[in-house]
Amino acid sequence: MQEFDVIVIGSGPGGYVSAIRSAQLGFKVAIVEKYAVMGGTCLNVGCIPSKALLDSSEHYHNAVHSFQEHGIEIAKPKVNLDQMIKRKAGVVSNLNAGIAYLMKKNKITSFHGLGSFDSAKTVKITKEDGSSEVISGKNIVIATGSKPTILPFIPVDKERIITSTEALKMKEIPKHLIVIGAGVIGAELGSVYARLGSKVSFVEFADSMIPTMDKTMGKELQKSIAKLGADFYLSHKVTSAAVKGKEVTVKAQDAAGKEVEIKGDYCLVCIGRRPYTDGLNLAAAGLTADERGRIAVDEHTLQTSVPGIYAIGDVVRGAMLAHKAEEEGTLVAEVIAGQKPHINYNLIPGVVYTWPEVASVGKTEQELKAAGIAYKEGSFPFKALGRAIASMDVDGLAKVLADATTDEILGVHIIGARAADMIAEAVVAMEYRASAEDVARMSHAHPTYTEALKEACLAATSKRAIHA
Amino acid sequence: MAIEMKVPAVGESITEVTVATWNKKEGDHVKLDEVLCELESDKATFELPAEAEGILHIVAKEGDVLPIGAIICTIEAGSATASVTVADAAPAATPAPAAAAPAVAAGPTSVLEVKVPAVGESISEVTGSGWNKKTGDVVALDEVLCELESDKATFELPAESAGVLEVIAQPGSVVPIGGLLAKITVGGSVAAAPVVAPAAAPVASASADANYAAGHPSPAAAKILDEKGISAASVAGSGVGGRITKEDALSASKPAAAPAASAPAAVAAVAQGGTRREKMSSLRKTVARRLVAVKNETAMLTTFNEVDMKPVMDLRGKYKDKFKEKHGVGLGFMSFFTKAVCVALKEYPSVNAKIDGDEIVFHDYCDISIAVSAPKGLVVPVIRSAENLSLAGIESEVVRLAGKARENKLTLDEMSGGTFTITNGGVFGSMLSTPIINAPQVAILGMHNIVERAVVVDGQIVVRPIMYLALSYDHRIIDGRESVSFLVRLKQLLEDPARLLLDI
Repeated sequence: MQEFDVIVIGSGPGGYVSAIRSAQLGFKVAIVEKYAVMGGTCLNVGCIPSKALLDSSEHYHNAVHSFQEHGIEIAKPKVNLDQMIKRKAGVVSNLNAGIAYLMKKNKITSFHGLGSFDSAKTVKITKEDGSSEVISGKNIVIATGSKPTILPFIPVDKERIITSTEALKMKEIPKHLIVIGAGVIGAELGSVYARLGSKVSFVEFADSMIPTMDKTMGKELQKSIAKLGADFYLSHKVTSAAVKGKEVTVKAQDAAGKEVEIKGDYCLVCIGRRPYTDGLNLAAAGLTADERGRIAVDEHTLQTSVPGIYAIGDVVRGAMLAHKAEEEGTLVAEVIAGQKPHINYNLIPGVVYTWPEVASVGKTEQELKAAGIAYKEGSFPFKALGRAIASMDVDGLAKVLADATTDEILGVHIIGARAADMIAEAVVAMEYRASAEDVARMSHAHPTYTEALKEACLAATSKRAIHA
Repeated sequence: MAIEMKVPAVGESITEVTVATWNKKEGDHVKLDEVLCELESDKATFELPAEAEGILHIVAKEGDVLPIGAIICTIEAGSATASVTVADAAPAATPAPAAAAPAVAAGPTSVLEVKVPAVGESISEVTGSGWNKKTGDVVALDEVLCELESDKATFELPAESAGVLEVIAQPGSVVPIGGLLAKITVGGSVAAAPVVAPAAAPVASASADANYAAGHPSPAAAKILDEKGISAASVAGSGVGGRITKEDALSASKPAAAPAASAPAAVAAVAQGGTRREKMSSLRKTVARRLVAVKNETAMLTTFNEVDMKPVMDLRGKYKDKFKEKHGVGLGFMSFFTKAVCVALKEYPSVNAKIDGDEIVFHDYCDISIAVSAPKGLVVPVIRSAENLSLAGIESEVVRLAGKARENKLTLDEMSGGTFTITNGGVFGSMLSTPIINAPQVAILGMHNIVERAVVVDGQIVVRPIMYLALSYDHRIIDGRESVSFLVRLKQLLEDPARLLLDI
């Protein structure tokens, strides 16, 4: 039986990062992956492919809608969905190979097969051909991620009623795509097809898009996506979905209980994701999942109730984000090495890769209100920003929330072009507990989108944005 | 919530007070800062202001003698009124720096906050220089908890109450007057008592340079400190606004001689070699600031002369045993110099003066400051009215003050108010130097080593014990004639000590 210092189950962004960090720290490491390729949800059916399609659809949308304005005249562009999907697949396999290379480079032993606990110290790997192997590890890291949540009354057939996984490999552009759930994933994939010409209807139980983010963000995002011709059924509770031939009928009730019926040719269900521990045989390790499928861990070390077994990423509490899982993967490796790393969960940014993008870190306005914290708000619209005007990307705004007394930045919420990249500045500032005025006094290159953050900080400091 | 009001630490040497008079009656409604009663110590009488608004319940009667930290009364705070420590971060709330106002939590156990007492008018902050007790220790009333160092003096902080100690301010950290040093959990279980207001500490230290982010470690610094087992609170941040940088964390070390949990890190820090950084003590910072200020703000120059020490040495050789027998103190050179200086100062009053705005303040007395090298740096205690003291009186003062200086026990009073300074670089072997004036004084005498030199006396080359003298003076109010004459007069007096007796 092969013995390892660390066995990581799952090769998503949490798992493979944990494996590399463990190897860097001198451990003998194994990584177990159920699928033939590494990278997990994020790389194969999540972040990366969706971004590939978002970019492709954005290019198409620009070609149709803004090239003329830019002074570029071309024949009416046509979508070649096959090619789009093919390019996306290329991007994914490119990165799959990258991770395989990193495993090799760090001398990490890769096992392909379903990993399951044999005991608290051993993992059984059942391969596709039915054969199995047991390896032992002093430490085992559960990084098995999550799967889309499925509601019992919505019959997902993966043909007409689909999840995000299928939405990334469509054979045709839907004529009318009904998206159940206007959260991050629904907003991203819905906007892909809206740009490619689909009619998109969002049905959302909450009263806004991306309801967990700052309210202003949902409102602004809805404005932008509405320009793509999307319909919104907010505060609507889906009661049923049915397929009849090529037609999907979704029924929902509004807040007053009035029923609406929406007919489309596809229905994308994006109501969230659930921790995925199926087949992991937690019981053999002496572990159980909680009622929401999560594995309980120590707040600081991410160790489970069984010493030597750790869990990271989507299978534990907290936001289901690749970069959160990466930080946890690093943390666990360092904890095993006896170090004392720390993660500031308040400063894990949340990003929606629509266009305009939405990015956010720290507290939302509603959270500050609920906590009774006195705050100041400063916003700056992209339409007043030189760079945004030059690029014709004028949708959006940057919003900074700062402590009313100390001026410390408590939350930054940006919707607009390149918001996802801009949020990094806010994270750095907040890790160092900068005040709004601190950031406002730092030189920001002109003309750039990041000036929006500087201006919003000026506004938050004392309502003195220069260009507003 | 009831606030327990305790006898504040009112001074270093005061251990108990007597309740003189109550201005308020049992059950009275009192307002914040309203004077409740008068307390008498053996040195002074002082008033006790209410720490909160509420209903007064008197515990100690008039005439009761209470130790520092004992409960005098309680104030039943109204629902809306907050205690002093719970006061929110409103910048208007001026933290009453007067004495170590102990704040206390309600409940079976109470937590006494040990704060930096007001130690002197001009002192705004102190440096914790060493804890005699550590977190978790059981301390007795009046037991010395730690030493605090101000830029003038070092003093000991006694426990205001018996209980379990929780150290907040680490050695080396600078804490403003009124800032939180430690907490003492009084009574009840040893387990961490509920802290009244964790926000209170930063609020209390809201001095001019305080920053909400002061002491906030960067992500890398936080990890390093955790691994070293050092609390961020004990590290002085060198980053913007007092933030703790990675470098701060790397160079931070555990206050106690605890075995380094992360030996590799410690080794790495040592192995770098070359330079070593230490925070300046507040004494050192003050010395530095003052010296530069004097250089910049005065017209300082130095005049020299030499003294044949043979007559003084002869006199001393002849009488030192008898002197010691009679006065119980050795006859040194210091008394001759001090006495001679007093005589010369009387004749040249501008050397014994100071500048105050547009006016010159002349002193009719000679309070002679003597520079003493103490373990923590230079201190300058004062021999009061030295002109009225005998040689024996001067010697015994010198011995007393130098002894206290070495033990860091000098009080502020003993170090302030000198009118002229004598410094003796000779004890370290200095041949000649140009001392810097001890502002606001205007002149300083530098003594040096005594060396046998060939000198010409009455046309003959003879060997004599010679000391060079230097007088640095502020030319703004002392003219060359006076400074030179002052020094010549000293020379005369020392070379013929009988003049001291005859006053000629």
